[in-house]
Amino acid sequence: MTPVRRLRLPPLVGGLLTLCAGVAHADIGTAIHNMFSLPADMSHLKPTAVVMFSIFVLISLLITWWAAQRTKSTADFFTAGGNIGGFQNGLAITGDWCSSAALMGIAALLYSYGFDGLIYSVVPFGAWPLMMFLLAERLRNLGKYTVADIVSLRFARVPIRTLIASASLAFVVGYLIVQMVGAGTLISNLFGLNYEMAQVIIGGLIVVYVAFGGMIATTYVQIVKAVLLLSGATFIVVAVLLRFGFSLDGLYQAAVENHPTEEAIMQPGGLLPDPVNAISCGLMLLLGGAAMPHVLMRFFTVPNAKEARLSVAWAASLIGYFYLLTFVIGYGAIAFVMKNPEFLDAKTGLIRGGANMAAIHLASAMGGDLLLGFISAVAFATIVAVVAGLTIAGASAISHDLYANIFRHGKATDAEVMRMSRIAALSLGVLGMVLGIAFKDQNIAYLIVLPFTISSTVFFPVLFLSMYWRRLTTTGVVAGGWLGMASGVLMLVLGPTIWKDILGHAEPLFPYKYPALFSIAISVGTMFIVSLLDKSDRAKQEIAAFEDQYVRSQTGLGAEGAVQH
Amino acid sequence: MQQVYRLIFKDPRFHDLQRRRGRLSWTLAGIVIANDTWYVLATAFYPEAAFARFWGLPVSEGAAITWGIAIGLAQTVLFILLVLYYIYRANGEFETLKEVVVADALRAVGTQP
Repeated sequence: MTPVRRLRLPPLVGGLLTLCAGVAHADIGTAIHNMFSLPADMSHLKPTAVVMFSIFVLISLLITWWAAQRTKSTADFFTAGGNIGGFQNGLAITGDWCSSAALMGIAALLYSYGFDGLIYSVVPFGAWPLMMFLLAERLRNLGKYTVADIVSLRFARVPIRTLIASASLAFVVGYLIVQMVGAGTLISNLFGLNYEMAQVIIGGLIVVYVAFGGMIATTYVQIVKAVLLLSGATFIVVAVLLRFGFSLDGLYQAAVENHPTEEAIMQPGGLLPDPVNAISCGLMLLLGGAAMPHVLMRFFTVPNAKEARLSVAWAASLIGYFYLLTFVIGYGAIAFVMKNPEFLDAKTGLIRGGANMAAIHLASAMGGDLLLGFISAVAFATIVAVVAGLTIAGASAISHDLYANIFRHGKATDAEVMRMSRIAALSLGVLGMVLGIAFKDQNIAYLIVLPFTISSTVFFPVLFLSMYWRRLTTTGVVAGGWLGMASGVLMLVLGPTIWKDILGHAEPLFPYKYPALFSIAISVGTMFIVSLLDKSDRAKQEIAAFEDQYVRSQTGLGAEGAVQH
Repeated sequence: MQQVYRLIFKDPRFHDLQRRRGRLSWTLAGIVIANDTWYVLATAFYPEAAFARFWGLPVSEGAAITWGIAIGLAQTVLFILLVLYYIYRANGEFETLKEVVVADALRAVGTQP
């Protein structure tokens, strides 16, 4: 019998959230006061970081201004007119995928736990080859603006869009809170700006990007950020390896000598809990990662399936490269930060600002204030760009799925949909700010499990089965999707993280931290059973339509093309 | 359009293409799923399970790098190579074959491809 291991740290995809421990309430009055007051101690403001971030903001606003001239129709707004090239889209996808958690969170996990942190580099990366082999080109051939378009080709429009748009919004809002709270904490650490001010800056920037520049601006901002992130990380890695004559083993030797647990950091150490949680978490990262709406939306910005494959090939190579760099950054932090008094709290002897600052301190140790400023600006840019990507995904769910297709029954004009998109972007930006301030100082690590549970329980099964299984029907999708989502959320609430740790009950009603394994089984099982029992005429038509959909998904014939101006 | 879809669906070359591309996709996807599963389980069951025990051992005498780290690095590189191999096949021979099938079907219904 294998002993059940206990979880020592909430395994985070958004690792930077460990910063926000404790529970506090954001008082609105204080919040507004803080927003407009300068930090008491101005020495915290780091000039290099502020200058570099200002340059990024300036460039991104110029991009937005340029993109706004080119955003004339809804196709421009949601998919950049389908005119983005494979390489550019690959970079933009890399930007959407690598949130600041990828840089700072993984480094933090490696810094604290050694080997087990690698799980969060190695396992989720599998989502990329899977997307390439099973989903990418079919998605491109079937889709138009949103995930819901793919599914509503063959199925009833209103119930399907209601399901997918609701799931998309739940995904976006959950992910948004995680990013906004992480950003506020990060920025007060890096720039010396106060938390509320950070929320306003980020919220304001993304509303401008998305509302005026649409997908064109979002894509190019994402590209700039991806280039910054990849070059910044490369710079740190080269600087670290240079100290060891480019011997990876030399670095690992130094890390082992520097770490209190020595060789243990090179071995698995039980960060992952019992096997059920391990498998559930693995499934959630793999399938959930392969079906995130803000990433899938990028497949519609390229002109055809060939370019879609090319963009996934670029994205997979760049993301894989980035994950390889984390193997050096995490252990580099152990070797150079762990025993350096400059980065440790004088009283506690622990790392200043928490483990999430490991990558940032490493940059400082390797390249002084200049590299520190650069990496801080990169981290900020990373968050802004990811939030913009989420916002446009949310705005498209509101304006294209809910407003144009359900509320107006597809009769809204282009101009009306555009106006609604801008209103949606503004509302999401404001909502992000408000939630960011409301959740200040709360431990919101559990929130990252919500979007991943939704994408692995709803998006992945619905997309996969609609493309690969002829017998799937509307009733099956709707029953399975809602039941899966509801059960996933319920199991999260009744699980150890919320029911026990946050609400303070003695025992959780549901024993596992990661409900994905069970919620996926419920959603897929229901879709199978209900679809097979569905003998209605509607179901017969949907099954008959599979053949046409299949040919279209494989050939791209009849697919949305690029918009010519 | 439906007429063209039907024609393509009746074309044996289309089904041949699907079979070959599908076989490649699923083989590669199988490799990825197997690798990821192994990685998660080995980390979860270390050091009790036999298939995970060597993960903590250094790759050579005196090295700090363990098999687990080396496998993690190798797996990431392998996944990139699999993706590149797939796109080489899919954007090459499969794409050419698909274009021929689509062009023939369009010509048959009297549309210029």
